[in-house]
Amino acid sequence: MNLQTCEPPSLLGNRKRRPLISLTPLIDVVFILLVFFMLASSFLDWRSIELNTPGASRGGSRLEGAILIEVRAEGLRLSGESLGHDALIRRMKGLLAQETDRRVLVKPSAGVAMQKTVAVLDSLAAAGVTDLSLIADQAR
Amino acid sequence: MRFPQNRTRRDNDDERILPLINVVFLLLIFFMLTGHLAASDPFAIEPAKSVSEGLDSPQDLLILISADGRTALDGIEMDEETVVATAAERLKKMSPAGTPALRLKVDGGADATHIVRLMQRLRKAGFQKLKLLTVPKAL
Repeated sequence: MNLQTCEPPSLLGNRKRRPLISLTPLIDVVFILLVFFMLASSFLDWRSIELNTPGASRGGSRLEGAILIEVRAEGLRLSGESLGHDALIRRMKGLLAQETDRRVLVKPSAGVAMQKTVAVLDSLAAAGVTDLSLIADQAR
Repeated sequence: MRFPQNRTRRDNDDERILPLINVVFLLLIFFMLTGHLAASDPFAIEPAKSVSEGLDSPQDLLILISADGRTALDGIEMDEETVVATAAERLKKMSPAGTPALRLKVDGGADATHIVRLMQRLRKAGFQKLKLLTVPKAL
């Protein structure tokens, strides 16, 4: 089969057919757009942790029944007692089994990185703590 | 099978790059749909990682805090006092109906006590809802 026969007949005989628009400028523009979107768009998938105030979330008078967890540079402390991470989670699960909506206060001490605090908040939330607050010592 | 030999070289040129254009178009559409355009931060931070599922709310005010204590409000770098003052000022201008929320984008290496104190100051300034922005843990 001869592809030339598919072309519309030209009045000027068999002059070379020139495409109306060349594709090369189109590709230039598309490439520029592609590079722009590759560089300008961000792919980080941001999530959020909502942090309540110790006083305002519900009933500020329940502060005395709260469990205090200190995040220190050398480890975690639950009401003054040094504990490992796994032991703390086990203890918390036990405490929550007795009373499900206990308030938990997390207090990072000086020099603790945010990542470590967030990890503790994460594992407490995974253990089932619903009323979680972040506090700082008022000493300084 | 015989290919027609009498086609000109020029016609062939455009047709040969057609698959290339297809791929480039696909990539373009992919990047347009998956990424989201956002103003870049004035300084780079390494955000804290967490398994939290809470959603980001891009319309709220954003405070950026780096590990070495630099702070920025909505992409403009300023010191901490100015951040708190400006945020409180913006809060006054907002309609009283909406719940004022504030997002904190904090470097994972920042000092936690410093951040908590800043959060307490922001609460005193009237922000009832504070959100800590994190990224999911890499698998």
